[in-house]
Amino acid sequence: MLKLHNLSKVYRTDEVETVALNSVNVEIETGEFVAIMGPSGCGKSTLLNIIGMLDSPSSGNYFFMDEDVAGYSEAKLGNIRKQHIGFIFQSFNLIDELTVAENIELALLYHNIPASERRDRVARVMDKVGIAHRAKHMPSQLSGGQQQRVAVARAVVGDQAMILADEPTGNLDSAHGQEVMEMLQALNEEGTTIVMVTHSPAHADYARRTINLFDGHVVTENLRAAV
Amino acid sequence: MFQNYLSVAFRNLIKNKLYSAINIIGLAVGLMSCVLIMLFVRDEFSYDKFWKNADSIYRLHTTFAVPGREPFVTVVAQGPAKEALQRFFPNEIEATTRMNGMSPVVRRDDKTFQETIYWTDPETADMFDFDLIAGDMHQALADNSSIALSESMAEKYFGTDNAIGEVLTLTFYSITRDYRVAAVYRDLPHNTVIDLPAMVRIDEKDFEEQSWEFAQWFSVNSVLFYELKPGVNIDLVRNRLDDFANANIEIPSQLGRDIKASDFIKYSTLALPEIQLHPAGGGEMKPTGDIKKVQIFIAIAGLILLIACINFMNLATAKSIQRAREVALRKVLGARRSQLIVQFLGESVLLALIGLVLGLVLVEATLPAFSEMLGKELAFNYADGMTGLILLGLVIAVGVMGGIYPALVLSGFLPARVLKANKSAETGGSAILRNVLVVTQFTISIALIIGTAVVYGQMFYATSMDPGFNKDNLLVVRGTSRSGASDKQEALREEILRLPGVTSVAYSGDRPASGNENNTSVTVPGSENTESVLLGVQTVDYDFFSTYQIQFLAGRNYNRDFATDGRPSAEGAKPGEILNGTIILNESALGRLGFGTPQEALGKAVRLGVGGEPGARIQADLQVIGVVPDTHFQSLRRMVRPEMYMMDTDNHNNLSVRFSGDPARLVSAIEGVWKSMITNVPFSYEFVDEAMAEEFTQEQALAKLLTGFSVLAVAIACLGLYGLASYTAARRTKEIGIRKVLGASVLDIVRLLIWQFSKPVLLANIIAWPIAVWGMMSWLETFPYRLDTWVLGPLCIGAGVVALLIAWVTVGGNAAKVARSNPIKALRYE
Repeated sequence: MLKLHNLSKVYRTDEVETVALNSVNVEIETGEFVAIMGPSGCGKSTLLNIIGMLDSPSSGNYFFMDEDVAGYSEAKLGNIRKQHIGFIFQSFNLIDELTVAENIELALLYHNIPASERRDRVARVMDKVGIAHRAKHMPSQLSGGQQQRVAVARAVVGDQAMILADEPTGNLDSAHGQEVMEMLQALNEEGTTIVMVTHSPAHADYARRTINLFDGHVVTENLRAAV
Repeated sequence: MFQNYLSVAFRNLIKNKLYSAINIIGLAVGLMSCVLIMLFVRDEFSYDKFWKNADSIYRLHTTFAVPGREPFVTVVAQGPAKEALQRFFPNEIEATTRMNGMSPVVRRDDKTFQETIYWTDPETADMFDFDLIAGDMHQALADNSSIALSESMAEKYFGTDNAIGEVLTLTFYSITRDYRVAAVYRDLPHNTVIDLPAMVRIDEKDFEEQSWEFAQWFSVNSVLFYELKPGVNIDLVRNRLDDFANANIEIPSQLGRDIKASDFIKYSTLALPEIQLHPAGGGEMKPTGDIKKVQIFIAIAGLILLIACINFMNLATAKSIQRAREVALRKVLGARRSQLIVQFLGESVLLALIGLVLGLVLVEATLPAFSEMLGKELAFNYADGMTGLILLGLVIAVGVMGGIYPALVLSGFLPARVLKANKSAETGGSAILRNVLVVTQFTISIALIIGTAVVYGQMFYATSMDPGFNKDNLLVVRGTSRSGASDKQEALREEILRLPGVTSVAYSGDRPASGNENNTSVTVPGSENTESVLLGVQTVDYDFFSTYQIQFLAGRNYNRDFATDGRPSAEGAKPGEILNGTIILNESALGRLGFGTPQEALGKAVRLGVGGEPGARIQADLQVIGVVPDTHFQSLRRMVRPEMYMMDTDNHNNLSVRFSGDPARLVSAIEGVWKSMITNVPFSYEFVDEAMAEEFTQEQALAKLLTGFSVLAVAIACLGLYGLASYTAARRTKEIGIRKVLGASVLDIVRLLIWQFSKPVLLANIIAWPIAVWGMMSWLETFPYRLDTWVLGPLCIGAGVVALLIAWVTVGGNAAKVARSNPIKALRYE
């Protein structure tokens, strides 16, 4: 699916130079479920953002589906992103002014998909994550777990091959957290590649492989036997 | 406490630079407009209040209601009306006086000028308190060889020397007489409708041959003021003006037997201080204002200030989220709601005060240009208590108006929710209010744009309207019938015709756009209808139509080979005799006379008096030999009247010159010819196209001012929109981030934001169009010749497009910046 080769990210302000990622080499196969762990400030989110093409590396190569996208323009990255990558955030990031269905539909809005097909797909994906009965509700009327399910639905409605989840359970209690993890696992079993940043070792256990980051370096990679 | 408020207020101003700048600049410009317009309005209302007798002086106005014609409305009166008024209202009227402006030639040593001098009655010295510099007003108006001069006039002829006792020689009609200067008075201030550069006493014996000046009841040439006796109600006079007309004016029998004078001549009256703002007709001593114009400008000032206040309100509510935490903390620490309201109102009044200071700087910078556009000398007097009071009131009003809603909203925040939820505490209500306010701003702006466009459109229409003759490359030399010039008319004509570049010349009684009225009543001989018809008269010569390039609809021009062409001379004719002559009519006259088509009219005749005494009149039957189209010779501002073009050599006061080539060189050549032949009449001329455009100088000034204020209104509205857009963009960063992560392009985001602000502008169009169309249609109705109504359609759409484009540009830059920003920042830090 993707391969990072000697990838570095340096943030510069006027006086300080902060190295967020230092010569990281990571390879993720199609259909994998990878967890990224590490203490605060180790570069987890930076790594995820670069994988998600929301940020560009300072140096190194990023091969996405065998294409080196490290030097691509924002518009070009945006195109790849919207076709292949879905996002799930810790704070859900639903649009408050739109209903559940509209929030999910948003992911299709920028894909030139006819309205009727959009409706079908939104309905299907809502069934799948179990929030069809909340379609007309506003995000503020839902519990955190339900909101995150909407976010998951939004991430997969466009048939994205890869989902990037940034602490998807961080704002949820353990029951809801587990619910979301099971949903991700189910998606992975259907073939979606999942890359997840998490603080929770228990949730990391859902992944097949864990990458540990410390101060911008990959420290260990633990491979687990399939559950 | 107050210290704390003040420091918080100032820190807020400094912290939110964009917000503060938008508010202060907007308020400053709004207050500047207000102050400028206030100066204008106060000046307009100050007219003629300074006279000692201002409250008891009135002016008599005459309207001739000619059947079948637009009424001829004037603010002047007949010469005999002075004595008659005094006689008819012995218990009501204390004194009356006339002021009849003429243009004599004034000579002092070798200096010769044509001046406007007023012939007036001695009562003027009693009724009006002139600020005397030297001499005695009563003496100056005691006899027919003394003159009272204004200071500037005295200076022109005598420099700084004492002018009293010096002599000026005046030539008017056939009289040349020395006048001794008996009084010099300070120039009248600009805020009066009375314009008296110099005065001499009316001696009616001087004008026996010019009976129209002071002796006729059917000629109006004098401004007539009268002073009421103390305690008399003006209605006692006003209600009996019809009786006054009937008691004094005899209607010629041929106008009809049952016609009363009051059917034909209507009097009205106006108090001196009211004259400036209540235009009542033609014949003013100088151009006056109009209460409608004053009202329009007051409204514009209010609207511009409203737009600025709306910015204030909008940005303050929008920004309130940022201050929610401060409000919550203050409440937690024990602040009462009323204390918070006072704090926030205080802040907005402070902002208004800063705006006012900057506004006054702008007033100082723009006042000279503003004064010039209005043709006034406006000054801003800081020491004037009234001005200070108005400004203070304005600041508080603006501060409270702009601050009250945010103050109420902010102070109403529930602290627990704000502190805990860390969410926007904003209610849906304030978002709706903001939209309503933006719609209001753009409604005003769009209506102003439409108004400006219509005024310009009408001006363009009026000045480019085909007057029916060729007004370009045409100039008029004036004063050719004055004594000293009239006997050289033929020689002058030949000399000027010989100049290179001159293609044609013609004499006429009147000149284009003079607005003069000259009418004669005619009958149709042999017709059953014995009632007379009033027709306008233009006296012309053989070359008039070819010089003005007016084509004939039927018949022929006057011809030098036909001895009988034109108006026959009454000389040598016996009383009761009917002479023969020829006449050329315009198309409107045919309708009035019932002459049918131009072809059918040829050969028919009109009968009119050419001399003799009442009862033994000498008349002439003038056969129609030609018909010309209606032309706007008299004025572009009036309906075309039925006219006859009479071939008559009397009173040919204007020589029209058709030319090609360099006008400046030609003028100096003509001036050379004039001076070589005529020594005691100064050379004066005008270009016809310029004179016709000058009829619209008032509209021109209005158009310029409207443009200025529309630009200001739109600019302030856009400032607000810009502020609101940047606020909205900030508020929507999360949403924009999500959309971008989901694949929205920069263009998608820009479109999203622009559309959000297009909606209120589009709505504003829908509201503004009918309002503007209604307003401008009633304005256009004051012009007899005006833009077609359908033109308003494209103008409305144009104004809408302009407003929309301006809004897009305003919002677009900000939107693009936001759309380009990296979405992860927006999504990570909530």
